[in-house]
Amino acid sequence: MPESLLAPGAVLALWTLIMLFWMAATRFSAMAKAGVDINTAPPGGRGVDLEGALPPATNWKSHNYTHLLEQPTLFYAVIVFLHLSGGSTDLTRGLAWAYVVLRIVHSLWQATVNRIPLRFGIFLLSTLCLFALSALAVIATLG
Amino acid sequence: MEGNAILGPVAALALWTMVMWFWMYATRIPAMQRAKIDAVNLVGTTGKSLDEMLPPNVQWKAHNYNHLMEQPTLFYAVALALAVGGMGDGLNAQLAWAYVGLRIVHSLIQVTSNRVLWRFAVFILASVPLLALCIHAFMAFVLH
Repeated sequence: MPESLLAPGAVLALWTLIMLFWMAATRFSAMAKAGVDINTAPPGGRGVDLEGALPPATNWKSHNYTHLLEQPTLFYAVIVFLHLSGGSTDLTRGLAWAYVVLRIVHSLWQATVNRIPLRFGIFLLSTLCLFALSALAVIATLG
Repeated sequence: MEGNAILGPVAALALWTMVMWFWMYATRIPAMQRAKIDAVNLVGTTGKSLDEMLPPNVQWKAHNYNHLMEQPTLFYAVALALAVGGMGDGLNAQLAWAYVGLRIVHSLIQVTSNRVLWRFAVFILASVPLLALCIHAFMAFVLH
């Protein structure tokens, strides 16, 4: 396992951009099928306007990309706090890797099957890892 | 400190985000007054509800401000990680400046003409240096 606590953060950042390209790739073919032309799109159109216009499974990739720019931003902040305050331990590295692996599984599920109970279960588990990391960051930075 | 030139573009984009914040309110508040929205007695609404009530080009500032709170947060994380790892100079700093410059162009397009094709093209262009920064962080921290 890489030694740096920043390694899982780097993986999740890269994964986010992989989801961006997955989203773009599926969205463009779906837009072509639905007869939506970006050249003639009305000014100001946004991704959210494609809700209802494209098949749900296409928009699921976009929902997940957006989701990756929500809670994980807290994760990046917390691992940087831990890294800078001597809080990089086997425990925090293990929790950070668990968070990232769970978020990647969450992405794959949301982008494909997207049944809510499992998605929520994965999200809850990953949040517990982040919760523990946040508590350890408070201890490390105050200590 | 060695390797922290990348913090320049980080600070620039953070400041630009605050400029957009001011621009958003400078146009939103007069537009709300013109639309006779009684902000004093509003309860529980969010900026999103204004999409129905204010002219689109006023809301475009808000759309861009929100957009700056999405992908750029990934940029801040990766840039900080590279700086902390002493790899925020040279090419990485240049990539970061490219990202920030393109994001500012993206903002200006979204708040003015807001042609989707141009906006999308600049967004994808900006995502390329960010992808390069992510790959560099991955190589440095995961593969090392």
